[in-house]
Amino acid sequence: MGEQAADREPVADKETAAEKEQAADQESVAGKEQTTDKEQTARKVPVIRVKDLYKVYRMGDERVYALNGVDFEIFRGEFCAITGPSGSGKSTLLNMLAGLEPPSKGEIVIAGKHIEKLNEKQLVSFRRERVGFIFQSYNLIATMNALENVALPLSFRGMGRSERIRRAKHFLKLVGLERFMKHMPSQMSGGQQQRVGIARALAVDPQIIFADEPTGNLDSKTTLEVLKLMRQIVRKQGQTLVMVTHDNNLASYADRIFKIIDGKIVSIEEGKRDDEEI
Amino acid sequence: MRFSDLLIMSVNNLRRRKLRTVLTVLGVVIGTASIVVMISLGIGLQEMTVAQYASSGSLTRIEIYNDAMWNSDAKEESFLEDTKIAQLERLPHVTAVSPILQVYVQMRQGAYSGSSEIMGVSREVLDEIKLGEGRLPDPNANTMELVVGNMVSRNFYNSKSGRGYWETGEMPDVDLYNRQFFMIFQSNGPSEEQTEKKYIFPVCGMVESKTDENGNPVYNEYSYGIYTDIELLKEQLKRIYRKNPIPGQPTNKKGKPYNYFIYSQAYVYVDDMENVVSVQKEITDMGYQAYSNMQWLEQAQEQLDMIQAVLGGIGAVSLFVAAIGIANTMMMSIYERTKEIGVLKVLGCALGDIRSMFLMEAGFIGFLGGVIGLCLSYAVSALVNRFLGAGLMGMGGAAGAGISRIPASLSVLAVVFAIMIGMLAGLFPALRAMKLSPLAAIRNE
Repeated sequence: MGEQAADREPVADKETAAEKEQAADQESVAGKEQTTDKEQTARKVPVIRVKDLYKVYRMGDERVYALNGVDFEIFRGEFCAITGPSGSGKSTLLNMLAGLEPPSKGEIVIAGKHIEKLNEKQLVSFRRERVGFIFQSYNLIATMNALENVALPLSFRGMGRSERIRRAKHFLKLVGLERFMKHMPSQMSGGQQQRVGIARALAVDPQIIFADEPTGNLDSKTTLEVLKLMRQIVRKQGQTLVMVTHDNNLASYADRIFKIIDGKIVSIEEGKRDDEEI
Repeated sequence: MRFSDLLIMSVNNLRRRKLRTVLTVLGVVIGTASIVVMISLGIGLQEMTVAQYASSGSLTRIEIYNDAMWNSDAKEESFLEDTKIAQLERLPHVTAVSPILQVYVQMRQGAYSGSSEIMGVSREVLDEIKLGEGRLPDPNANTMELVVGNMVSRNFYNSKSGRGYWETGEMPDVDLYNRQFFMIFQSNGPSEEQTEKKYIFPVCGMVESKTDENGNPVYNEYSYGIYTDIELLKEQLKRIYRKNPIPGQPTNKKGKPYNYFIYSQAYVYVDDMENVVSVQKEITDMGYQAYSNMQWLEQAQEQLDMIQAVLGGIGAVSLFVAAIGIANTMMMSIYERTKEIGVLKVLGCALGDIRSMFLMEAGFIGFLGGVIGLCLSYAVSALVNRFLGAGLMGMGGAAGAGISRIPASLSVLAVVFAIMIGMLAGLFPALRAMKLSPLAAIRNE
């Protein structure tokens, strides 16, 4: 399917992908709004499938294996954490899942689509339609206020201004920043900026949200707040969240934790904390 | 992305670095202004030259001379007469041919007398004369009606003192339009000098008399002539001289006049300026001496084109420097915004949109520079016309328009050109931005 699917309407696309993948599982196709109630069934729909993934960098004559044969599946509505020490290849993995870096070998199938086979143009449109991204250093556009920042990715889809603003307002309220809509990034604290970043990722109604050390620049109190917020919203909307962190404590809030050392997944653990705990 | 969104983003990016944008725009302003002013000077020079040639005669007219009639050895076939005129009329692109019959006359009014030539011409020539007063001669009138040149009266002198305008500098008290004057035709032999007859012809019009800024009348090609319908002049001459030879007309070997009129000169009218030179060549090949203003204008045009190119080239250099400035500014901006471009790519901004965004930024610099540069050009042009133009006005002839002229087409072209230069300069940086890695967004500094 490749390119054709990427250019289609996002909603229709999601359904097609789901149908192809799990034609049998009628319940999950019906709609992700129900996912919270039927979490157990929903979990079984793989939205990301990684098979035998390698990433090799050449450094002079030496070959460095950033990823050395990785296989896993992530299911719809799941909150996954990828942890590992620095240099373990966890960021490389995330970049490849988001289509920012091509793999050396292996398959990445996201919603039925082989990411490794797409060209750059197709990758951009894939991210535009399906992926939300939360950065460690927020990466808000400094010349735009909170509202405009959230509305920005919607403009890439050619959405009209009034509709963009309406949606952006909705998501800023959702992250609790209704009083900061006209603030510029420089006028906000780190925690507030990251909330704007989360609202921006959510605004495009993505299937999957990638977060690269989203709390890396925040203090411990704000970190917990932001983490709670992310988990809460993603749960409510039935979206899949993939978070990279080096902090084992933070990772423990996830449903499943992938531990990576030297480019290999050494363990996959179930998260220990329930929703109530957050 | 929608065009309006792209435009807003581009403009906002420019506003972010105001000083740098202003400086880059300034480069384009100077570049555009220098090109426009230079070209406007070229255009002014060209228009002035054309006007100058046009003021000394129509640009679609060829003058033919035939000196065979003065040559006693010349054969009869070489005379320029009515059948030859008809022959010339049949040439392609020729709209009309007017023979010209010249008769020398003496004139008297009160104490003043003077001389001039009566030119018998056809309607086409008469129609070209710009009249200051009166009307053109009526072709159906029963006597010759005259159009008198506005400077003919300068040739009158006081018959008592023998001094006229050329000696004293004072205009003689002669009014050829409102008061009657006598005309005396040349006699055809010294023996009959005492029997010269005086004629009075009605004056129906005066040649237009323009004045320059000092109030002096301006010369034009009809200023010193007296014009009338050629057919009526022929009739008049036949009545005056009967069977005798007419002064100025050749006679055969036995001293007898021919029974038709022979012309020394004729005007050939061509349908378009473009065809004048080719028709002129044909006429020269037929054995006539031919002159046209177009012939001189064409030579002048070649020189003017070269001047134009040199002037434009000087202006182009500064616009080229401005283009390098734009490219530099855009490059700087892209290096600064590497991370931001990466973020846009991660968020799903299409590659084409990123390219368009930067192209628009560069194009907008060009547009701003072009518009401001054009305004500056108008100001400079006005100054040039005011202080420099006055001195050149004497040679320009046509008053009113200055030496620097900016036609509307040049204005539009200048702005479009500035935008294009901007976008061209921004093309490489924009492609560079498009190819930047999205990974730049992920790296944390």
